[in-house]
Amino acid sequence: MDLLEYQAKQLFYEMGIPVLPSQQIDHPKDLKGLKIPYPVVLKSQVYTGGRGKAGGIRFVENTIDAVAAAQTIFNLPITGMYPAVLLAEAKYDADRELYLAVILDWSARRPLLLGSQRGGVDVEATIGAMQQVVVDQEFSPFYARRLALKMGLQGELIRSVSAILEKMYQLFLQKDLDLVEINPLAVSSAGELMALDGKITANDDALGRHPDLATLQEKIPHQIKTKMLPRDLADTTLVELEGNIGILCNGAGLTMTTLDLVHKAGGRPASFLNLGSEYRHNNSPEVLRDRIQRGLELMMQSKNLKVVLVNTLGNVMLCRQTAEAIATHLQHQAGSRVVPFVVRLVGDQFDEARQMLQALNLPLFHDLDEAIAEAISLSK
Amino acid sequence: MVQGITEPLGSIYAPLMQVYGGQILAGISPGHGGQHLEGIPVFDLVEQALLSVGAVDTSVIFVPPYQVLDAALEAIAAGIRQLVLVTEGVPPMDMMRLCRVAEASETLVVGPNCPGIIVPGQILLGTHPAEFYTPGTVGLVSRCGTLTYEVARELSQAGFGQSIALGIGSDRIIGSTFQQWLQILDEDEQTEAIVLVGKIGSDSEEVAARYIIEAIDKPVVAYIAGRTLPQSQYIGHAGAVVSSQVAGLRDEIGTAESKISALRQAKVPIAECLSQLPDLLKQVLKGSPKTSAKS
Repeated sequence: MDLLEYQAKQLFYEMGIPVLPSQQIDHPKDLKGLKIPYPVVLKSQVYTGGRGKAGGIRFVENTIDAVAAAQTIFNLPITGMYPAVLLAEAKYDADRELYLAVILDWSARRPLLLGSQRGGVDVEATIGAMQQVVVDQEFSPFYARRLALKMGLQGELIRSVSAILEKMYQLFLQKDLDLVEINPLAVSSAGELMALDGKITANDDALGRHPDLATLQEKIPHQIKTKMLPRDLADTTLVELEGNIGILCNGAGLTMTTLDLVHKAGGRPASFLNLGSEYRHNNSPEVLRDRIQRGLELMMQSKNLKVVLVNTLGNVMLCRQTAEAIATHLQHQAGSRVVPFVVRLVGDQFDEARQMLQALNLPLFHDLDEAIAEAISLSK
Repeated sequence: MVQGITEPLGSIYAPLMQVYGGQILAGISPGHGGQHLEGIPVFDLVEQALLSVGAVDTSVIFVPPYQVLDAALEAIAAGIRQLVLVTEGVPPMDMMRLCRVAEASETLVVGPNCPGIIVPGQILLGTHPAEFYTPGTVGLVSRCGTLTYEVARELSQAGFGQSIALGIGSDRIIGSTFQQWLQILDEDEQTEAIVLVGKIGSDSEEVAARYIIEAIDKPVVAYIAGRTLPQSQYIGHAGAVVSSQVAGLRDEIGTAESKISALRQAKVPIAECLSQLPDLLKQVLKGSPKTSAKS
């Protein structure tokens, strides 16, 4: 889960990372009670890059300008998202801008400290000057100093920048984060540091043990039309494509393989849905049945849908549960639009599943290629 | 040993593993000590179980995701050096800590979010559906779950039994890697060829391809899922996410193209679809598959 800038800065503040005085604006009229002296920066709180270029960041000198600017920003979609909140922040004169981040390196299975002397909006320059340090054992501040030196920092900045990195690392660890980024970290002419913009990505699997982060989600605007997918597709979220075959499978790899095979055989998927793997510790037949039914309901909403292809594979009662869920779904759907089903199941209790589906005149396949051929012929 | 034996998954799979032929000496479930599950004695604590049943080779862990780290540390502290973590959704920070401890203690950790290991005809350490597997000489190592079953089924039907089959886990941070298992299979006398099953996202297949060039002598064939998926899309658990967290830093990695080209460089034949895998195996084994059915 990505946090918004003002949420990230609240966490920075609590951790002792310097941030500017700021105020959260839920409505343009809130600006009449602004406690920060002008000039002020108003920033759209949407989670995406390029806010400035899109017009989502404006400098204002007085209340009248501020209210007008706020109204404009609230009504300005940035890549399809409207902000629910603006951040009003004091202006800051930076002498230099640095980039700092702590991320997890998935393949090294270690945290990584990143730093660049070229912070700011020019991403290519930032990356060109990027330095990294792997935290291969228990963290200690020397890792941060190692990065500061690699970045080419000198004098007092070695200690002050390392101290910020140390706090970023603490936050990263305490809150189970995937990413903590400060860009830019401003350095004033007096050598003071200030986090001007920040980015935090919380780990979705760990949100269950950080209720404080989970509640922040409510304020994050949803994209209206999106190509990016929700993270946890396993929670029966449907992904819509251009074709006319709905695909429902269990497991990511199996879902991808089924999509690949349908494409290869000349079919066009309308949507796909991954019921999730078998390895959730609380998986039970009831949960599975419920997920299949919810998934099918979602799938039926697609207008292009001509046929549904179900492909599930696994252990223990999966065949019967899948067949039962499909049967229940069809009973609920009775009377509304009927879309043909092609079901491919392998596993225990195949025969019971076949009897159940035969009673509904649904063909049941053992062989995946045959099931796909049948689905494609029904879609034409 | 099965940790979390009274959890929903544990109570389903422990008896299946027992039936398959592995000897389950003990189950662990705090508060359930003294009970029995299908004849398996249940203990409150790992060290207590070991005092009663003697040494244990492997622990298969089914506890809820936020308890996996603790269960694994408990097993390692008691001297168990092979762990299979089945549970999905273990936070990466916990895995990071576990990997450090596992490396220091030379513990083999499979998973998390995985179906575990099966030696067909002999032992099941996880959730593989037994009916898809037959004994033989193909080593199967996969980063997927249910797709692993599908591949095993395809191989078994074509007469290619398996020496060892396993899923290394679909999460972003996993214990043992493709490289470790390629090495184990390369050294395993039963194994004549290796099937590697990957999917889009992460750089696991790319790293594995480099390792194959350096260190693997036995023939390897591969299948990559997700070739027709648009690059911006991903499916299911976070493992399939292309991890370009810092814009532009590593976005060339993780696509199907990147994996296929890395594997081609390692001279690994790649199946376009699952049904091609047996043909490729025949080719790399020079048309004479020894499908020695030992069962």
